[in-house]
Amino acid sequence: MSGMKPLLEVSMGIDAFSSAWVHCDRISSYVARMVSHNRADPLLYANLLSSALNELLEIAFAHHGPDGDISCRVSRSGASDIIELSLPCDDAALGFYTGAAEQLKRADLAEAYQSALFSPGAGDPHLGLLEIAVDYKARISILPEGGNRVRVAATVELEGAVS
Amino acid sequence: MSGDPTYSVTFNENNQEFIIAGKLRPQNASDIKPLEAALAKALVGVRGTFYLNVKRLARINNVAFRVIAGLMAQMVEKRADLKIEVVTSSVLGWSTRKFLPLAQRIPNIEVVEYDKEFYPGQSFLEEGGFIPILRNQTRMTWRHERNLLPRHGLTPGASIADICCGIGDFAVLAHKEFKPSRLLALDHSRTSLDYARKVAAEFGVTDIEYVYGDAAELMIDDNSFDFVTCRHSLQVFDRPELILRELYRICKPGGRVYITNEKNSHCLGEPRGESIQWTYTEVAKLWAHFNMDIEFGPKSGRYMMDAGFEDIRIDTFMVTNRDGDPQDFADMIQAWENVYAGQMARDRGDTAEYIAKFRQGFQDHIHAALNPKGYAGWPIWAASGRKPS
Repeated sequence: MSGMKPLLEVSMGIDAFSSAWVHCDRISSYVARMVSHNRADPLLYANLLSSALNELLEIAFAHHGPDGDISCRVSRSGASDIIELSLPCDDAALGFYTGAAEQLKRADLAEAYQSALFSPGAGDPHLGLLEIAVDYKARISILPEGGNRVRVAATVELEGAVS
Repeated sequence: MSGDPTYSVTFNENNQEFIIAGKLRPQNASDIKPLEAALAKALVGVRGTFYLNVKRLARINNVAFRVIAGLMAQMVEKRADLKIEVVTSSVLGWSTRKFLPLAQRIPNIEVVEYDKEFYPGQSFLEEGGFIPILRNQTRMTWRHERNLLPRHGLTPGASIADICCGIGDFAVLAHKEFKPSRLLALDHSRTSLDYARKVAAEFGVTDIEYVYGDAAELMIDDNSFDFVTCRHSLQVFDRPELILRELYRICKPGGRVYITNEKNSHCLGEPRGESIQWTYTEVAKLWAHFNMDIEFGPKSGRYMMDAGFEDIRIDTFMVTNRDGDPQDFADMIQAWENVYAGQMARDRGDTAEYIAKFRQGFQDHIHAALNPKGYAGWPIWAASGRKPS
């Protein structure tokens, strides 16, 4: 995105990433802490960013293709941060992300989020994305990249998000 | 979650309070079965109001949230007599808004954001025009403290946390004098922090981390800082031992915690010493009425020993009208009078006659400060202790 200055990128093989669930927490905590130090309230900012990023990584953990790297990049322009995940994608994963992109176009996003949050049973697989869109007011784009990859980007403005 | 649990659970039966702390990001609901079982057991056994305390739950994912929310919703649905209060923290950012939809959905569940209850004096400090007082005070105490701090273990390049930093002016001065490798300044007043950031920006200081937080529930890792300061603040809290415990926790082993406090009844001045002494003895009673201990200074050593510190060092210094411009001293006293004999005395319900006498002592102290032959003093206790290695 033009005007966005890259701050940090973490990249690893998708097999290594998906070998342990704790990677989602570790990467989100590390990245959030690193890019938040010069925000007005670094701890609060890191808390919020880590929460949003962790949900994205948990989605990538559950839905991805078999070969290649996953990269997580954070870029900044003023108050906006853009979190970009790029990951390998097979047909099943592509189906999931296509469905997610459709969900995010809904006019009743807030209701969809509430409904997913309290739905009985296994839970809505799109809950994390709905939460980021509604609770963090993120602008999310999901686009295929070169046939067998997908790019999920969330633009957030978390500075002053809590008063 | 594999390996050691990243969270802890405590149930206090007396308070009917279930406390979850740490980090809760399981892959599957089954990963937190022990927590779910403990919560279910606690919920079954309580009557009336049940408290779910997540003030120190730093992270949660949707898997865990759905387990906790689902269980609580199920319990209140079964038992109309049961009420649940979810106690969140304003410090974390996410917790109140994460749990609010639950409260909006289910009538017997409420979300309470833990905040000012713990800070009896905060409204006075924020709303009482205290910023000019604090700037003045720091300017006057810094003349003494810049020389005392090395004796208490502060060395150039140390990592410093200034807890209860107020308007952040001490942090700016310490930054300039000691060039710390890291300086985090934390306070629970957003008004003060906004001011602190403005002051730092005006001085071109960009590497102080000004952080909103609760001194009794710091979201800072254990053993993080070489030198931890907490100035003029333990006296403002009704449970100073909770703050000291946190200062101890975030201090590195071998590092030191430095605190300053007052004993206001020992403020003095001449001439008109008797009136001055009466008023400041009354100040101590007034603060005690609002659960604050402005007489804390000489108790510092005992509190530090009880908190587990060693090699405790205590100094006393007297800020006086002779230190610099006497008008600075007089301005500080005037600001004290405005708040103590103003809103605080009114809130206590003091009579007009009492308030007039109360004000007179401050005016006499100002007279002593500005009188070329006079002397006016304000004593401070500076204490520090080392965290055992």
